[in-house]
Amino acid sequence: MKNERELIIEEAEKLRWEVGDNLHDSLLESIYKSAEEISRKVVSRNDAGKISRKNIDHLIDKIVTNKWTGLPIMFLLLAAVFWITIVGANYPSSFLAKVLVDTLHPLMKDLFVSLSSPEWLTGALIDGGYLAVAWVVSVMLPPMAIFFPLFTLLEDFGYLPRVAFNMDGIYKRVGAHGKQALTMSMGFGCNAAGVIAARIIDSPRERLVAIITNNFSLCNGRWPTQILIASIFIGNLVPPYLAGIASAGAVVSIAVLGVVFSLIVSWGLTRTVLKGEPSAFSLELPPYRPPRILQILYTSLIDRTIFVLWRAIVFAFPAGIVIWSVANINVGGISIAEHFIDWANPYAMLIGLNGVIILAYIIAIPANEIVIPTILMLTVLSLKISGIGAGAGVMFEMDNPADVAQLLKLGGWTALTGINLMLFSLLHNPCSTTIYTIYKETKSIKWTLVATLLPIVLGILVCYATTQLWYLFT
Amino acid sequence: MTLYFILLTVLIVLMAIWIKKMWGRRWKISDKELTEDALKHLYNSEENKTDTDENTLSKVLSISTKRAAKLIKKLEASGLTQNVDGKQKLTNNGRSYALKIVRVHRLLEKYFAENTSINETEWHKIAEEKEHRIDENKARELAMQLGNPLRDPHGDPIPTAKGEIYSHNGIPLSKLETNDFGNIVHIEDEPKNLYKEISESGIYPGMQIQIKDKFKDGIEIKGDGKNKFISNEAADNISIVPLNKDEIIKQDYQPLSSLEVGEEAEVVGISKALRGMQRRRLLDFGIVPGTRIRAFLKSLGNDPVAYELRGTLIALRKNQSDYIFIRKIGNDK
Repeated sequence: MKNERELIIEEAEKLRWEVGDNLHDSLLESIYKSAEEISRKVVSRNDAGKISRKNIDHLIDKIVTNKWTGLPIMFLLLAAVFWITIVGANYPSSFLAKVLVDTLHPLMKDLFVSLSSPEWLTGALIDGGYLAVAWVVSVMLPPMAIFFPLFTLLEDFGYLPRVAFNMDGIYKRVGAHGKQALTMSMGFGCNAAGVIAARIIDSPRERLVAIITNNFSLCNGRWPTQILIASIFIGNLVPPYLAGIASAGAVVSIAVLGVVFSLIVSWGLTRTVLKGEPSAFSLELPPYRPPRILQILYTSLIDRTIFVLWRAIVFAFPAGIVIWSVANINVGGISIAEHFIDWANPYAMLIGLNGVIILAYIIAIPANEIVIPTILMLTVLSLKISGIGAGAGVMFEMDNPADVAQLLKLGGWTALTGINLMLFSLLHNPCSTTIYTIYKETKSIKWTLVATLLPIVLGILVCYATTQLWYLFT
Repeated sequence: MTLYFILLTVLIVLMAIWIKKMWGRRWKISDKELTEDALKHLYNSEENKTDTDENTLSKVLSISTKRAAKLIKKLEASGLTQNVDGKQKLTNNGRSYALKIVRVHRLLEKYFAENTSINETEWHKIAEEKEHRIDENKARELAMQLGNPLRDPHGDPIPTAKGEIYSHNGIPLSKLETNDFGNIVHIEDEPKNLYKEISESGIYPGMQIQIKDKFKDGIEIKGDGKNKFISNEAADNISIVPLNKDEIIKQDYQPLSSLEVGEEAEVVGISKALRGMQRRRLLDFGIVPGTRIRAFLKSLGNDPVAYELRGTLIALRKNQSDYIFIRKIGNDK
């Protein structure tokens, strides 16, 4: 004898088959229907319920999505944002460097010495930790403080969703979302911010693609490296009157190469490891509106600039101590850094780099901005030159590119090293801030590892191929 | 020295390829998987009213006839099958075991369709591999996560945890006459090439179709506002329930993608081919029957297109707007 409860469950089970799979749809349908009925009763409209948007919005939309005007407008706007960022950041950057590096650094060192702190403590904390933080702040803060408000301005106005709308055709083909064009542009400012910006993509698979490929956008911290190395090594390959164009062309090609890589990798990821993630396309085009300046300043400066900068500082301090230590702790008469450089040199040569570059990329992981100062310091250290720089473990920069060129050539650099460094600067692991941000955003060690290791593997392969081809033709 | 090194590398690669091939031929397949696949095959052939012996079994499982004969003996010995007049039949135990595997298989396919972006043509293959590694508890969790679904994405009923199954009463599509209407209730997912042909022509369970014309090598049908041609072999793999006149939904609708910029329409419905998250997102936007919708803007490459509905502007890709059905309303003056 079945009891009543079992009978009810049985009946319900039978009814489910009769109702079918459409229950969810019918429910939503009826909710919308009754909502519409209610709104018809209580909401009065001037235009008698006819749908129509503001004419001005329509006009702007027509222009920015037009076949002939859409793309030029997009490139002009983005180029303007980058130009203002790069030019505008120079002045505050050099001011901050003057204060934090040139003035405060010796002062603090004097203070420590006067307190009779041991030499290793002064070295590790001031020459290592403090200097790394000072460097990161002075090169990172100004570009971000200019780039983010400008970018947020376009976002708030309502233009950026139209960029995603226009670009979606390309991204659809590689299995990604048009909004990835936005996170990628954001990545040109800062990859960590680009990774956070991927929150605007609400489809899980497309969001992961955007996060993993963001590192292929050449970020603010890498532009100066590219420009410096291009002007030293690429400019030399052509007649002097073409030097400027050639080196600028090289930097732009590297950035474009990054975009190409991000598309190819997106394509590969969505067809392999990301197959198991759900995907749904949706893109709303909100109405245009006058930007709210105060809110823009708040979100871009507090939520983006300070947030990213703080994470960078947290990583820069210990990394600075490590940088100082490897150059100053001696084992068997020479420093750990030199041991590593000697050991790594033969392997690094295979991919057309050298031990100094490899070590610099490992210990300068907190920020791409301090890679060049670290390379210069390590080059001086391994060549045992006196009179250049500020001592073992103290990062420095040179004002004149010709001096840098001379030092690097002493270190055995050739045009091939320069080209490979430019490639490796594009294709290597994200900085620690970005890696940490990826983990925070995805909450997954697996995807963090993929995002970290994939670019290194690509970088090694590309540098190896370049080197072998170079030897084949020279 | 270098030569030896190269030779060795080539040898290792060849070995690896050979071993992979062996795996493909299932020489080393585990007994559990073999048993389960055999039971499933028996279940399917009983459903299709065909017979099973060591020859058919060896073909389906890609094993030798000797091994198939041994397998049949083992199944008999463990009381899962019995010999009835020289034919293998499932016992009650065997049937409930088979249904458990079928249940896991169909739940997995449902999961792939709803919660992943795995391509439709791959669901079956991946489910075949994974079904052996999911126990009863995991299956129950999976079913709960999916909201205890009734059918898999091919339209097949999913057996309950107790091993009961609801049987569809469809007939092969080829039995219908020209101009008849019907609802597709089931699409057989094997063999692969036919399933691929069917799924790629945009036919899915739950679709209402009409037979437009019958040819020597195939049938032309109309569904979702489009004419499609399918071969006779594929048509045999589609089960259909004929519809009476009063059950027929009017066929005068078109896909949203056919709406030109500036034209206005009323939504008729969303096709069953849009599933899972994708479908919910569209419903959340308010794309339900009766909604007024207007094509507004084309993007640079003509895809996506922005549509205005309920006072907002929403961009939809062509692979979405193809599956949303509308009835055009005369041009706005």
